[in-house]
Amino acid sequence: MISFNQFISLFKNPTSRKKILLAVSGMSIIVGWFFIGVMGDTFAGDMLMILATVVAGYEIIQKAWLGLKSRQTNIELLVSIAAIGGLSIGIYWESAAVTFLFLLGGWLETRTLQNTRRTLKSLVELVPKTATVVRGEKTETIPARQVEKDMLVQVKPGGRIPVDGEVESGESSVDESAITGESIPADKKQGSQVYAGTINQNGRIFVRAGRAGADTTLAKIIERVEEAQDAKAPTQRFIERFARWYTPGIAGLSVISFIFTQNIELAITLLVIGCPGALVISTPISVITGIGRAAKEGILIKGGEYLENAGKISALAFDKTGTLTQGKPRVTEVFSLQPEKVVAGHEEAEPERTTEHEVLYWAGIAESGSEHPLAKAILEEARNRQEIPDADTFESHTGFGVSAGYMENKVLVGNRSFMEEWNIRVDKEALQQVEALSEKGRTVVLVAKNGELIGGLGLFDIIRADAPSAIKSLREIGIEELIILTGDTDSTAQSIAGELGIKNVYSRLLPEDKHKVIEQLQKVGHRVAMVGDGINDALALTKADIGIAMGAAGTDVAIESADIALMADDLTKIPEALRLSKLTLRNIHQNVVIALITVGALLTGVFAGEVHMAGGMLIHELSVLLVILNGMRLKWMA
Amino acid sequence: MKTILRSDELNCPSCVNNIESSLNSMEGIENATVKFNSGKIEVEHDPELVTEDDLLAAVQESGYSATVSPF
Repeated sequence: MISFNQFISLFKNPTSRKKILLAVSGMSIIVGWFFIGVMGDTFAGDMLMILATVVAGYEIIQKAWLGLKSRQTNIELLVSIAAIGGLSIGIYWESAAVTFLFLLGGWLETRTLQNTRRTLKSLVELVPKTATVVRGEKTETIPARQVEKDMLVQVKPGGRIPVDGEVESGESSVDESAITGESIPADKKQGSQVYAGTINQNGRIFVRAGRAGADTTLAKIIERVEEAQDAKAPTQRFIERFARWYTPGIAGLSVISFIFTQNIELAITLLVIGCPGALVISTPISVITGIGRAAKEGILIKGGEYLENAGKISALAFDKTGTLTQGKPRVTEVFSLQPEKVVAGHEEAEPERTTEHEVLYWAGIAESGSEHPLAKAILEEARNRQEIPDADTFESHTGFGVSAGYMENKVLVGNRSFMEEWNIRVDKEALQQVEALSEKGRTVVLVAKNGELIGGLGLFDIIRADAPSAIKSLREIGIEELIILTGDTDSTAQSIAGELGIKNVYSRLLPEDKHKVIEQLQKVGHRVAMVGDGINDALALTKADIGIAMGAAGTDVAIESADIALMADDLTKIPEALRLSKLTLRNIHQNVVIALITVGALLTGVFAGEVHMAGGMLIHELSVLLVILNGMRLKWMA
Repeated sequence: MKTILRSDELNCPSCVNNIESSLNSMEGIENATVKFNSGKIEVEHDPELVTEDDLLAAVQESGYSATVSPF
């Protein structure tokens, strides 16, 4: 048996108090029915019903009073009036049922809502409470949020990483699904970024701490997600306005019908169904669940408003570079040209024909001093194949090419007009090669050595591996209007578009022109989403109905600026984000319909004399639970 | 000072009004907001006048349990 003191403390705790009140009032109702139905003792039965009403009504009246004190009329007030009214006209069982059902419904709703809110809680709990810090020869375990910048943290295989930081030593694969939603583990070695809350899988690593506690990426994501959940969707705002006059409206209706019909039972029944419960919860529940689920998959939707908008998207514009493509050019072709005559080499004997190998070799040397993206790509490809020495002399001719000297050889790398400027003869064979590659969208650079053209290279920013499947999924979810926006040349853009099967291409766009294309699409009635990297597309991203930024983990700017931020650099998350939004939007609509039908049916039922107080409350609470359960489906829906 | 409490028990959007107004009526509290969807209660208060325990007690008074949360 529990002592009286224990009982008092249980009673002080709102959670256990609710359970006690429910149990006592429920028992009273059951025993009350036993007296009335079996024993035929109506008086004892009625007394028990009054007891049940008082017990279950305790909290309701308390809340109604609190509300009144701050000059607010709340739902509890309506239920209190109805219960007291019921007792005063002698419908004891109805009063007991109304208060009991209201309390039970509230308790069940709390339980299910807790379940929904748990999605994020589980994210919070991913971060380990302690961290093992290396101090000289020894290690020490301290609370994770007390880890300071630049401390060295040891993470064992199978352990969770407690802080954001950089791998100092050790190698491992890390499951980053908590942050990116990506199920394939990422390989980490010295210099790699790691995030708090991710799981170290197979090797021991030492992490140089960057940010801990509330400053970690995961904590920021959670904070953002919660802000998003609390941001009211347009539907929710509309419903709240509706609810604001619905409740007083029903109360007024109750008074008017009493004046006209003198039927007090009808009047208090109206009060009971005056709670817009299912209606006010219809949108929040879907938004909480939808945004929570998206967050688990590494998709940060910044609020109910964007969720609703994203669900209506009909056109999607991609910024090509870095979104559909890898964002940096690679050498895709190397060709050599037969020199007119074999030049006598200064070091070794020149072969009959310059090999492709050598074209790359000399191009690599010439570009070794340049910072241009094309130069980097050439040097990377050349170094993949052989040792490349640095040039002795180097000069960059911005926009055209470079000239360099190495071991008494003079090398030129650049476009056709650059060659002509240096009086290098570009013959027919070379021109044919250049034209063939240009048609495929390649950027072509020519290589000349000691006054002779020896060959050339084709460079291309190739398509990301996940692009085709992402495009396919977008079409499957009904987004037909796909557009590529790029500052690149027509042939490059067309080549990418062709490979992906996208027809609408806008090339040679200046950054400030991109948003004009978005506006045009909006003018013809499209709801437009724009995908970019969040930095140089800022204007277009804001003009679009939905701005989507990719690879946002670790870059606060992208998380701030986009409406939807994808943590992973994964294109297939775009159709997933839009699909989840559509599912959520549909769920909201279903809930609003359920709620409105219930309200309509109850009102009709009450005036037709078919619905009484207990039944009205039962249906009302059931509709609230139905709406919550329907919202929770979003957690699992495929 | 800003303290963040979390409650799992908010079950109707209108019940946040009770918590908000009972917190806001306390001396030493500048501003209290209750977010229904996330169950987050944000309180700007003077720690000299109102302690974390006072906040928890006030929320409990309105009929809900809450805990203090780091973020």
